[in-house]
Amino acid sequence: MGYIFVKPGMSPKEIVKKVRELPGVCFVSVGMRDAGQSDYKNRLRIYDLKTLAPYYNEMGLFAAECHGGARWHVGIMNRRESPFEEIAILRELMPNVLLQTLIRETNMWGYRPYPRNVIEYVVQRVDIDVWRCFSFLNDVRNMRPVAEVVMKRGRLFEPAISYTVAPWFDTKYYLKVVDDIISLCGGVDEIILCIKDMAGVGTVKSITELIDAIKQKYPELVINYHRHITDGLALPVLLAAAKAGAKIIDVEEDTLVRFYGHSPILAVEALFREHGIPVNLNRKAAEQAVAKVREWIRDYDWAESPFRGFDHMVTRHKMPGGAFPSSFEQAEKGGFLHLMPYILQVMSLYNQIVKYFDVTPGSQITWVTCSGIVNRYAKERGEAGVKHVIELLKKFVEEKKQNFSAMSKEEQGELLELFSQAPGDFKNLILGHYGRLPVGWPDEWVYRSAFGEEWKEKIKERKEDSPVESVPEEDLEALKKQLEEELGREPTEEEFILYLMHPKDALDFIKFREKYGIAPLVLPTPVWRRGLKKPGDKVDFELEGKPYCIELVSIGSENDGVIHVVLKINNKTRVFEVKTKRAKKSEVRKATRPNEIGAPISGTIWRIGNPERGELKVGDIVKKGEEIANLESMKMENPIVAPFDAQVVEICVKVNQMVEEGQLLFVLEPLDKVKKEDSVNIEEVAAKLS
Amino acid sequence: MTRKKKKIRKVLIANRGVPAVRIMNTCRDKMIKTVAIYSTPDRLAYHVFLADEAVHIGEAPPHDSYLNMEKIIKTALETGCDAIHPGWGFLAENPEFAEMVEDAGLIWVGPPARVIRLMGDKIKAKKIAQRANVPTIPGAYNVKTPEDILKWMKEEEVEFPIMIKAAAGGGGKGMVRVDREEELSISLEKARSEAKKAFGDDTLLVEKYIQYGRHIEVQVLGDREGNILHLYERECTIQRRNQKILEEAPSPSINESLRQEICYTAVRLMREIGYYSAGTVEFLFDPKTKKFYFLEVNTRLQVEHGITELITGLDIVSLMFDIAEGKTLPFEQDQIYPNRHAIEVRINAEDPKTFNPSFGTITRLEIPQGPGIRVSSGVYEGADVPPYYDSLLMLVMAAGADRNEALRVMDRALSRGLRVEGVKTIAPLLLSIIRHPKFVEGKYSTRFINEHYQELLAAFKEKTADDEALKIAQYVAEVSALGPQSWM
Repeated sequence: MGYIFVKPGMSPKEIVKKVRELPGVCFVSVGMRDAGQSDYKNRLRIYDLKTLAPYYNEMGLFAAECHGGARWHVGIMNRRESPFEEIAILRELMPNVLLQTLIRETNMWGYRPYPRNVIEYVVQRVDIDVWRCFSFLNDVRNMRPVAEVVMKRGRLFEPAISYTVAPWFDTKYYLKVVDDIISLCGGVDEIILCIKDMAGVGTVKSITELIDAIKQKYPELVINYHRHITDGLALPVLLAAAKAGAKIIDVEEDTLVRFYGHSPILAVEALFREHGIPVNLNRKAAEQAVAKVREWIRDYDWAESPFRGFDHMVTRHKMPGGAFPSSFEQAEKGGFLHLMPYILQVMSLYNQIVKYFDVTPGSQITWVTCSGIVNRYAKERGEAGVKHVIELLKKFVEEKKQNFSAMSKEEQGELLELFSQAPGDFKNLILGHYGRLPVGWPDEWVYRSAFGEEWKEKIKERKEDSPVESVPEEDLEALKKQLEEELGREPTEEEFILYLMHPKDALDFIKFREKYGIAPLVLPTPVWRRGLKKPGDKVDFELEGKPYCIELVSIGSENDGVIHVVLKINNKTRVFEVKTKRAKKSEVRKATRPNEIGAPISGTIWRIGNPERGELKVGDIVKKGEEIANLESMKMENPIVAPFDAQVVEICVKVNQMVEEGQLLFVLEPLDKVKKEDSVNIEEVAAKLS
Repeated sequence: MTRKKKKIRKVLIANRGVPAVRIMNTCRDKMIKTVAIYSTPDRLAYHVFLADEAVHIGEAPPHDSYLNMEKIIKTALETGCDAIHPGWGFLAENPEFAEMVEDAGLIWVGPPARVIRLMGDKIKAKKIAQRANVPTIPGAYNVKTPEDILKWMKEEEVEFPIMIKAAAGGGGKGMVRVDREEELSISLEKARSEAKKAFGDDTLLVEKYIQYGRHIEVQVLGDREGNILHLYERECTIQRRNQKILEEAPSPSINESLRQEICYTAVRLMREIGYYSAGTVEFLFDPKTKKFYFLEVNTRLQVEHGITELITGLDIVSLMFDIAEGKTLPFEQDQIYPNRHAIEVRINAEDPKTFNPSFGTITRLEIPQGPGIRVSSGVYEGADVPPYYDSLLMLVMAAGADRNEALRVMDRALSRGLRVEGVKTIAPLLLSIIRHPKFVEGKYSTRFINEHYQELLAAFKEKTADDEALKIAQYVAEVSALGPQSWM
């Protein structure tokens, strides 16, 4: 255990001290998060990743990045795994290892700013040791809520500077960001600074210069260098960083390395050793982990980015490694994969017009905006149109140095159309909803292009303060109630947090798991992806310590949208019905809102209305407590009463219709609301008339 | 009325499900041939295949099938039956049917039609009980308006809550509890309408509601010679929506002298009305005052008769046939020695949280077994549970030397033995009831489920490994049939 130098439970101060005391450098393994994000669309499952945990436990890593970034969201959407389950599994299998997340300041693990109370609520309840936090605008103000909660909890805060190479982002600029960070965190003794080179564009010279400058100003500050390998030049730059004084380097298993992730752990160790830089690494354990990956990595061929090979052009278009596979996946799904080279060119020009860092959510804004522009030209004018717009942008950016008035009237007109269909998030970005842009707002014409006639007012609306101050707080109790209504039961704390992050996808996830249980956690990847192929194929797993075996007997042919699958479960034969896309959808409308009246139990509606009034009709006014229908179930009568004074908007059942529990019977409009809306309408009408 | 003794060689069972199967089992022991009747959706039901013969009787609605009196009698005659056993429910307490059976020259395996009619009228039954010096709950007959009820309450110094009941009622239908004056009018209307629907008669009565009352009933047997004796009592206090779901014998609520008193009171009443066959006198017991009040006479075999059989070692269905044949009861009161404690639970096909009926196919059925367990099932694995009839799938009974032992056996039966898939059952609720400390102590009332609903619900074991495996298998089935999913 000689390699283990930091452990969960240590105070941040202690951890920082331990790193400083190391004779050389140590590693963060991103094998459980960024490796999969950069080359496998975050599809690497905890079922496979956890096989590395026993080795990590002995390896002497600084930390394992296993959480955050897009892994959270993709986990619930595509892998159907909860980030909480992953933490629990890894805690058990690698108790020696600090677990690290990547969090996007106020955007957390989502794509737009969350209100302060949500940030605090969530960060307090996620059991992570190292909180690497970055701002795609390097707006350090946005980090404050995360920093406060993490530091108060006694966990390690690792602020990151988003790094790229561009003339306007010089060493002086980055030093100012570091100053902001140090002042936010109250010194250098309880934090580690990360340089997040997410596209992989830092050079030996630029990185050496930056780390030198930081170390000169803050000699005690521990620096972690995170660099993607997209340009093919990562290893020499890592060596330069270590020589300049970086104490922690991000790496991944050699066998996981493709084109957009990080450098191979064994190779980096060997390179550093040859250059006399000691590395705190149990190389034997690392070798075993590298070998282990081979056992399952081929099960993920389907998830790999379709754009293979290094791409030195990244130094121009700056697409971050983490965004590569997902962007290409979208292009493939959208049928415009062939336009990718153009989109990358437009990106390289765009990022000189609107200056920020291409990392989530900025990279998504860049991607959607630029792919939108290219697609629009391709649709309207074909490939020639795409080439034309690139020429136009080149002329504007490179030749005319973005001097709008130097362009011809016609060209100006076309530029003014450029952002007319830009996504809402682009508009929010230039209005300051995410925070201040790092080197100032874009030129006026960008606003004219995005907002048309309203542009002047919009510029006035532009915010200078941080979203931490401006995003209104959410009513957490109300949100919890909302989730409870959606689920029909009390949600767990973890389900609630998933819901706070991504409401719609969390609901899908929870419903999936209610239906299919822990299938995502126990099935091997080939079975998870494709099922059992031929009769006799089996899958084994354990539940509550007891063995289970599912064996395929037969798959029937499709009939009326249904396939019957015969399986043996622990030798007992069972038939499962599988609905195909052609299955008739006989979906029953359910009552979900307070003004929708559902059947309290299954039964027959034998009366609509009541004996006194007779049958109800749409438009009738009913009094609170008045019986509006009667449902018979098992020979018992169940009066259904109006919960408030209301007007009947819709009657969704007929007399003598069988209904199921929760099925929508009536839509009511509360009477006070009806009156209010009437008066609003009248006011509107009056306003229009005058 | 003297009758010739006539041997029953073949009987038509005018029922389905659990009661039909229960009766057919005894018929097999007695070498009586059985004829089953079935409605269209019951074509492949368990009772149909257990019988020696089966006849399709009509379409799904009970009026076309299991309540179709003419057709049932015609079928009995055509198939050469000597007798009709009605089971419980359906036509079991229909005096016209009993008369029609006898008029057709068939033996009615049940009490005299006259007694059924008399006891079927709750108002008359209560009057007869009063005449026989059997205590009754203060009440008023034939109430029509809220004012009638309020007037009676003032006169008799009765306070809310009160109970409105169908005069022709039984089985909890047409019974509405009223807690406040404001609810009176809507409750009266509900009771009236339910009574009309369930019994075709909307005459209502109203009674004082005994808080924390317990439901105790006495099993009585009588022969045609006028010999009447009791098989001790059963406690049926655990109810939901006024329907029993758990019964036990003997009652844990009364001591030996109360037991003697309540049992002899029942016998006295049954003698007064000239009862024969098997029947039950129901009482409401007020644990505060230790008083008991007459509720009603059930003029039929009851669902929960099995626990009495377990504690006495007798076969009540068999005795019903003997009595119907005109035989004399073969034992006397002092020869009945109950020496066990027995519990029964009703496995209804319902959602255990909402009591919402659950229909469909029973895709898997594992029936509890092992020492001390008796199961009376109306279904088999693969059977359909149609939506037209009551939701009883199975009775599970457990017996032991004392109450604790019987409870332990029942716990084993429900938690380790029983498994029903395809439809939901109330088994999780039943299990959490028998594990509830108040129930184990024997401290409970008819409001037990309402009062402890949340605790009972919280005690449900949400997941078992087998359930989890099924969910996983459902996923494997889908992905095997459909291939990689677009959301992956």
